Amino acid sequence: MAILGYLRPDGQIGIRNRVAIVYTTHCSLAVAQKIQNLFPENTQLFGYPGGCALREAPLSKIVALGQHSSYAGALVVGLGCEGTEARMVAEKIGESGKPVEAIKINECGGDIETIKQGSRIMVKLLQHASVAERAELTPADLIVGTECGGSDATSGLASNPITGVAGELLVEAGGTYIIEEISELLGCGDVLAARAVTAEVGEEIKTLIAAAERASFEHGRFSWGYGNILGGLTSIDEKSAGCLAKGGNLPLQGILHKFERPPRKGFWIESREPGSGTFHGDPEGINGFAACGAHLAMFTTGCGSTTGGLIPVIKVIANTGRMQLIADNADLDATPVIRGEKTIRQMGEELYQEILAVAAGKLTKSEIYQHYEA
Amino acid sequence: MRSRAILLHAADNVATALVDLKQGEELHVELDNVAADVVLQEDIPFAHKYALRDIAQGEQVLKYGMPIGKAMRDIRAGEWVHVHNCRSDHWGFHNETYGLKA
Repeated sequence: MAILGYLRPDGQIGIRNRVAIVYTTHCSLAVAQKIQNLFPENTQLFGYPGGCALREAPLSKIVALGQHSSYAGALVVGLGCEGTEARMVAEKIGESGKPVEAIKINECGGDIETIKQGSRIMVKLLQHASVAERAELTPADLIVGTECGGSDATSGLASNPITGVAGELLVEAGGTYIIEEISELLGCGDVLAARAVTAEVGEEIKTLIAAAERASFEHGRFSWGYGNILGGLTSIDEKSAGCLAKGGNLPLQGILHKFERPPRKGFWIESREPGSGTFHGDPEGINGFAACGAHLAMFTTGCGSTTGGLIPVIKVIANTGRMQLIADNADLDATPVIRGEKTIRQMGEELYQEILAVAAGKLTKSEIYQHYEA
Repeated sequence: MRSRAILLHAADNVATALVDLKQGEELHVELDNVAADVVLQEDIPFAHKYALRDIAQGEQVLKYGMPIGKAMRDIRAGEWVHVHNCRSDHWGFHNETYGLKA
């Protein structure tokens, strides 16, 4: 099946065609937001609120996001004295070949002049986006991530395994699939090492999981409690296995670090360094996938999280009560698995078809409501 | 017919309840040409597990095809499998009691 996407100068093919507005520090957020308010169509806003100091991990994240295949171009809005200097950020994003311009509030002369100059740039960038070259992409070109949040018993029993089937189908078609949240995989080290394509990858995932386990003890924060036991989970291994079900039974190609794009097709786990965050919660995870080049994400939720992120998010819910409550925000109703009416395989195949439809342009609920949390 | 329990991997020796199940119920689960019929020895609450076959003391309990703990004693087919008869070696929780028949 061929999908018509947008060809970028670096060879990436996007499934959306937008212009990014990037703020480099919390001081430039308000002005960047006002510029976006003037051009709400086909634009997205993100940045790094902590940009006073120059820190490598969050800088690499906003650069990677700016280089995302969804964006035809970018406007970088800075104040002037921050470490994540606006022209440097623009230059780095511009290495992808797309048009990127930077403005600084301290150079333009306050909000009004910056908004005026920024608006003129936005007009140019939006017009440039509108004539973006089209190119066909196939499932083999797609990169998809899966996040889980607000998990409950139905996440491990239905939603996560369904995404695992969809991920397997994507990889069978030659595509690329990513999960993250290594801190939720405690106890899965040996199982994942056995699925790793090389001994080195196996050692690496075991080491990362062991480090996450140590950090849990050191910080006294466990993703394991009495409520889990009352809910039917017997061990941390079982809880983690329910999380790892997002990865199906796929061979593990390797670990993605520092928002790098997967160097090969297949199944990857993203490892995120502490302190690399520019936002919070599940959108942070979804935008992490985006920074690794993911075109779209699946998001399984039990309790009914409504958040999204910068890329299209396919929301999967298997909790019957919550599904009724937030049907307006759900993209795939997975409750038939919990009701025993459909198998995980059947629903995973439906979800894979939804991935292809979204890649071809179908809007997800997160896009329609502009849940572009970043 | 609606399934009342789910088998998550063909290699598993436990299935998980999709509704609250009662002692004496006859349950059928299947996946990838593997099927198991079991009479429940006790009540199994939603999202809890029962043994699909006899599991010997020391044997790994498998769910999602992955080991989730070892049987602390012999477990008969149809028995509830939980912290009272199955523990993981992880995190030294092997000897903790949880107040659930433990």
